[in-house]
Amino acid sequence: MKGRAEIREFVRSLLANSGDEGALADSDSLLFSGRLQSIDAVEIVVFLEENFGIDFAKIGFDKERIDSIDAIYALTQSVAKS
Amino acid sequence: MCALNKNSSHANSSDEAQQARRQTAIENVLRAHPGVREAAAVLDESNHLEAFVVPDDGFVDDVLGRGTAGSTLVSKWRKIFDLSQFSRDAASTSVGFNTMGWDSSYTRGAIADDEMREWVENTVGDILRLDPKSLCEIGCGTGMLVIRIAPHCDRYVAVDQSPAVLERLRQQLRTVPDFAERVEVVESQAANLDGFDENSFDTVVLSSVVQFFPNAAYLTKVLEKAVGIVRPGGHVYVGDVRSLPLLQAFASSVELFQAADELSTGELRDRIRRRVEREPELVISPAYFLALRRSIPKISRVDIRPLRGRADNEMTRFRYEAILHVGHEDAAEFDDDFPDWAERRWSLDDIRSFLRQHPNERVGIKGIPNVRLGKDLAAMAFLNSGDAAYTAGELRRHAEQSAERGIHPQSFFDLETEDLGFAVFLSWAACRRDGSYDVFLIPRESLRGVALPAIHWPKPDASEFVRLANAPGQLRFRNELVKQLLAHCSQNLPNEMVPAGIVLVDMLPRTADGEVAARELLNARLA
Repeated sequence: MKGRAEIREFVRSLLANSGDEGALADSDSLLFSGRLQSIDAVEIVVFLEENFGIDFAKIGFDKERIDSIDAIYALTQSVAKS
Repeated sequence: MCALNKNSSHANSSDEAQQARRQTAIENVLRAHPGVREAAAVLDESNHLEAFVVPDDGFVDDVLGRGTAGSTLVSKWRKIFDLSQFSRDAASTSVGFNTMGWDSSYTRGAIADDEMREWVENTVGDILRLDPKSLCEIGCGTGMLVIRIAPHCDRYVAVDQSPAVLERLRQQLRTVPDFAERVEVVESQAANLDGFDENSFDTVVLSSVVQFFPNAAYLTKVLEKAVGIVRPGGHVYVGDVRSLPLLQAFASSVELFQAADELSTGELRDRIRRRVEREPELVISPAYFLALRRSIPKISRVDIRPLRGRADNEMTRFRYEAILHVGHEDAAEFDDDFPDWAERRWSLDDIRSFLRQHPNERVGIKGIPNVRLGKDLAAMAFLNSGDAAYTAGELRRHAEQSAERGIHPQSFFDLETEDLGFAVFLSWAACRRDGSYDVFLIPRESLRGVALPAIHWPKPDASEFVRLANAPGQLRFRNELVKQLLAHCSQNLPNEMVPAGIVLVDMLPRTADGEVAARELLNARLA
């Protein structure tokens, strides 16, 4: 099971691919702030599917659930518990 | 004096001949690279040699992109549309109005329902004017067009690549009487239309879908097949196409909207540049569709129209529809002059009065300033002036105050509903970067029942054919190709002949005698 550090590292690499090397707090918005584009959301979704076994077709998908490192971590925790 | 001139002239022509040989040598070296389809070496204003290269799409995709760039992008978009149907709100959307995924680039939130309703009703109206009876819709999405157009058709085939979107559509269609039999729903990528026979439809529709194609080559492949399955006299309707000549204005508009008041114009310019570079969607010039006739001879003519609508949003401001007329048709043809709007600065009332006084005359006007874009263009002009000592907040106020006046495109369309007796046609075929448009008003009776007459619209400058589309997701590969080409030139040419720069273009414009049109190429580079 991967944790917050791996999520942080993955998000940083996504931002770096878009040329964004700016400061990043775990609570910072990724999609609604425009730092990542909608199409980048797919990368996060695939990361969560492959590393955490999350199936969005079952649990539902809303951008808020992956909009920050905090939100992504909380999602992985809630799925792990269920 | 005479002898000197002669010598000098001889020297000049000898210099020119030598220069021409150098340019040819550079072009030959570039053409030998597998990533190059066509190449032209041109002397710029400072006497530096610049090379313009039409890249080989296969090389960029298959070699530099390792064959995955295009298909990865297609799969990513499919996933996004699947995800849009997994949201809490998707299950409760009303039949024929599932707008999940229609988010504003400005607010990043959902586009307002009333704006979406106007957009869909106008799109439906434009398609119904083509009088479709057997229609294939590629990229039907959540079925907003299906529900409204299928009742007018004998056959409606709805194609989409997203299984979750289609499942939702099937559920909704089952609730509408007769639809299950009337509409065939097919899961397929746009490029796989091989299951349909030639000439089997009178209309193919691609509405708000081509922006999710990976590149212009993919789009051409799809349109070749689409035109193939349409019988002569029919149409391919490509709607809600994002305009390349207006991409800079779009990026400026969105970034200025999102910028905090205190942001400097220097930083704002950087954000606009990054937005254009990172644009993940396919943005296409109307010139692409006009040029398509050369590669798909079954297309007899092409109309390019700004969208109808009063709503002020990114669709009405920056998108257009392209109508490809397939095969020969017996349409009324008009080859009138189009005086420039700037010569007389007509108001809408001037035009209305003229029509009342001359009910039998046709009226064409070109270059009408587009009110929809007034503020965006004023802001962009200010940004391009290079003065960085302002903030985004000041720029917004400046744009509000100095927006140029013009006529709203919808005001022309509305003339049709008055008792003037004129049919109204608008065109964006001229590809002007200020979004100005051309209008043609025809006494309705002279149309003799023809819905879409063949109007000889003002054409774009040759330089507009140099760049036909952006290349989403390919920036890295295209930069790599330029690097490879410069290295290739360094290895195979003397130092002084290595081009100062290499610019990737979509087409090399040519003069009437077949020579590469150097000035147009250089103009396109600066645009």
